[in-house]
Amino acid sequence: MSDQTHLPGHDLAPGEEEQHSVGERVLGYVVGLGLALLLTATSFFIAGTDLVWQPSIPVALIVLAIAQMGVHLVFFLHITTGPDNTNNVLALAFGLLVVFLVVGGTVWIMSHLNANMPPMDQIMPKPM
Amino acid sequence: MLGKLDWSAIPFDQPIPLVAGGVVLVAILAVLIWVVVKGHLPYLWHEWITSVDHKRIGVMYILLASVMLLRGGSDAIMMRIQQAVAYQSQGYLPPEHYNQIFSAHGTIMIFFVAMPFVIGLMNLVVPLQLGVRDVAFPTLNSVGFWLTATGALLVNLSLVIGEFARTGWLAFPPLSELSYSPGVGVDYYAWSLQISGVGTLVAGINLVTTVLKLRTRGMNYLRMPMFCWTTLASNLLIVAAFPILTATLAMLLLDRYFGFHFFTNEAGGNVMMFMNLIWAWGHPEVYILVLPAFGIFSEVVSTFSGKALFGYRSMVLATMAICVISFMVWLHHFFTMGAGPDVNAIFGIASMIIAVPTGVKIYNWLFTMYGGRIRFATPMLWAVGFMVTFIIGGLTGVLVAVPPADFMLHNSMFLVAHFHNVIIGGVLFGAFAGFEYWFPKAFGFRLDERWGKLAFWFTFLGFYVTFLPLYIAGMLGMTRRLQHYDVAAWRPWMFMAAFGMLILSIGVICQIMQLVVSIRNREALRDRTGDPWDGRSLEWATSSPPPVFNFAFNPDVRGEDAYWDMKSRARQQSLEHDEPEYQDIEMPRNSPTGFVCAFFATIMGFALIWHIWWMVILGGLGAWATFVVFAWRDHDEYVIPAAEVAAIDRVNLEERRSLVSMAGIV
Amino acid sequence: MSMTTTAGHVHADPHHIGVVIEHPGPASKRIVTAYGFWIFLLSDIVMFSCFFAAYAVLSGQTAGGPKGSEIFEQRNVAIETVCLLLSSFTCGMASIAADVRNRFWYYLGMAVTCVLGVIFLIIEFREFADLIARGYGPSRSAFLTAFFSLVGCHGLHVSAGVLWLLTMMAQVFAKGFRADVLRRMMCFALFWHALDIIWVGVFSVVYLLGGGT
Repeated sequence: MSDQTHLPGHDLAPGEEEQHSVGERVLGYVVGLGLALLLTATSFFIAGTDLVWQPSIPVALIVLAIAQMGVHLVFFLHITTGPDNTNNVLALAFGLLVVFLVVGGTVWIMSHLNANMPPMDQIMPKPM
Repeated sequence: MLGKLDWSAIPFDQPIPLVAGGVVLVAILAVLIWVVVKGHLPYLWHEWITSVDHKRIGVMYILLASVMLLRGGSDAIMMRIQQAVAYQSQGYLPPEHYNQIFSAHGTIMIFFVAMPFVIGLMNLVVPLQLGVRDVAFPTLNSVGFWLTATGALLVNLSLVIGEFARTGWLAFPPLSELSYSPGVGVDYYAWSLQISGVGTLVAGINLVTTVLKLRTRGMNYLRMPMFCWTTLASNLLIVAAFPILTATLAMLLLDRYFGFHFFTNEAGGNVMMFMNLIWAWGHPEVYILVLPAFGIFSEVVSTFSGKALFGYRSMVLATMAICVISFMVWLHHFFTMGAGPDVNAIFGIASMIIAVPTGVKIYNWLFTMYGGRIRFATPMLWAVGFMVTFIIGGLTGVLVAVPPADFMLHNSMFLVAHFHNVIIGGVLFGAFAGFEYWFPKAFGFRLDERWGKLAFWFTFLGFYVTFLPLYIAGMLGMTRRLQHYDVAAWRPWMFMAAFGMLILSIGVICQIMQLVVSIRNREALRDRTGDPWDGRSLEWATSSPPPVFNFAFNPDVRGEDAYWDMKSRARQQSLEHDEPEYQDIEMPRNSPTGFVCAFFATIMGFALIWHIWWMVILGGLGAWATFVVFAWRDHDEYVIPAAEVAAIDRVNLEERRSLVSMAGIV
Repeated sequence: MSMTTTAGHVHADPHHIGVVIEHPGPASKRIVTAYGFWIFLLSDIVMFSCFFAAYAVLSGQTAGGPKGSEIFEQRNVAIETVCLLLSSFTCGMASIAADVRNRFWYYLGMAVTCVLGVIFLIIEFREFADLIARGYGPSRSAFLTAFFSLVGCHGLHVSAGVLWLLTMMAQVFAKGFRADVLRRMMCFALFWHALDIIWVGVFSVVYLLGGGT
């Protein structure tokens, strides 16, 4: 087996970029770092501020977190939509589906369970 | 110095585990002495223990599974006898021992029989079917096997040093928490599963990468044999589900070792979260086991019907559908926990939906047989026996997927009968079919058909006599895991089940006899062509046993059923007699990394169980150093010169030509 | 459909009419290794998702102990985050240097990555030590259990990453930019970037969402 980076017809390894010059690659990381820092700063700002409508804060934080994960995936892990990346993206999608099912399912199930079977001290007042 | 370990750990007062442990110890020592005296040790070390050849590792996985099957099977015999005699009496097993036995039985059968058996078959066959020389990560493959063996070793060690869990095979808290299980039993359970879980994860990553990235020229996705597809699906489930088990057991261990409150009753811990998380792994796990079995049946049914698999694409679709839906049904293991009607309804419906792709598969196998020229060789008997048995198990499964029915049957013997019905009827029958089918490929001679058929009929019959009574006992209200009982109506069924166990044991003895007889008659049963069953996929295109490099040339694939296609073309175009141009082949070098790493993992696991902290650090450092030494080596491949490849390949080619020309005349 | 399969001959790929894209054969070692590691990372992320789920379920169970807003210090978290983001950048620089086989920039990139990682670990360790000293250890309440496990699990991964990083540097020093060393470097970069992604989830869900009222 050879170790050439990219044969025609073959996929790209995860995390590997298309052939670029060093300057372009460094620029990619710089842009990624800039965007990530910007999104992080926004998150920290929003969490501590009372300038925005309070109930929107959790939603905004989650959206910002997902956006930042996207930035990391694109600029640091070099995930693209190209055909040579299909396998990598499909694996990622499967992983994300499982993450979503496990976290979402757990939260959903456990919240129903807690609603149906609250702990004893919430049903009965504590003997003083 | 030695943590919690002292002489009281050895159960001098309990004759059964002590005697059993002693016998096993003597047997192991006898084998070791025989190996050393006969001078087989260098051979074992160079050819097997340090081997990174996927075929060898596959065989070792299956050997491990077979040995552990005997261990788990003797647990089953003890339980059946106990329940047959323990009517209005204590029987012969005290409760704390009985509880260890049913916990060990479940743990062993799932993790150390079913898992290694299917992983072993996948390891053995998949690279051959894909037409490549090895799996993606040969050395890691060996690491994975030895870590699995470590887990099995720790479970068996609990027999003589300390105790095993008394909590059932999933160690539900709060029973498994420190306040209710202060002994080392749960620690044995959890650490052996953590260590073997790493091994399983490694095997899963390896096989997913192999199927997706290592296929021979022309082996497009929709030309892969069905077994490769089910391997892909099953291993995707492994890499997605086993981390959940790891995380859940880690939480339990944190509770036990450091006083965390994940699943405790105090300080806001949530017991139900354990059920939720462990079954989020547990349900995909059953599909991890049964999907490869489905693949085996697809290969067997198609080969022995002499036809291509009916509805290949629908089969692929059904496999991948099961792969995804299996992550959406886990709540049906705890309908009675109280999540409420809407949650229960949705998971109940999902559980019924997952029966649909399974049904598609059954019809596809039936239609493959329809109009075929069926040969009822032993693998085919297992396949047909599976179809009948699995349908019954599947139907009772759909029954308990209905939440109101499940409220009646939850934790009853009906449930016990159901999951044995699908796991024995599905996974074990599949493993046996694959064993009979690919044995000639692995060892170069076929298995004795007479003993094989006897083994099938005794196992098949024994299964029904054992487990149909359990369905009835469940209907009569008998719950699972009873050490003794006072209800007269259950007793006859327990007798019948114990009698069934006897028949099953005869089946196992026949299986062993088959192996003995076949090894003795191996010259008569020799498979010279490499294609004993008139097979259809690429594993039959090389000799039996295959050379270490599998194929002298990576075969070119032009359609489904690649080898069948080659044979047909060879018959039509007469035979090409020109000698191919052989080339040097590079193969990965053997490495003791796996064995050494598992050695340190055993030390570390044992030390963790007994709280011997200096030994934990030692084991951890040893494992890390092993990997660094592995990473530092300069030559990881060796070359097989073209002349040697040619010499090996010519012999097989000659045999194969004679076969094809004979078939051409017929 | 059934006709083509029962015929048992060629006819695969009916949808690529005329042009059948043949699979070109086994991929190169570099692709195989990186892909396998990619799969491992996905499974690792699934493991983290369990700890996230546990945190989501248990975060309200303070059992009379402190709430998140009472113990989190946003300033520390911000410093930690910047450390990790910068280390991801320097790790990227080190991978580029490895690809062009420039030892100086490689060592520099890796060393800075290591320093940033260690600073992160020190801040996290001090936060944990401080909480435990105040009696808010993981056995105080289910909330703290979930908090310590989730953040600690990420911290353990970073520690393992630092150990790997040092091993990698030693290996480049001893063996140079060999093909297998470059493959491992690629896996390391994937690992380090993935830890950053997990950290984005941790600081958003644990510190910011959990730190609010």
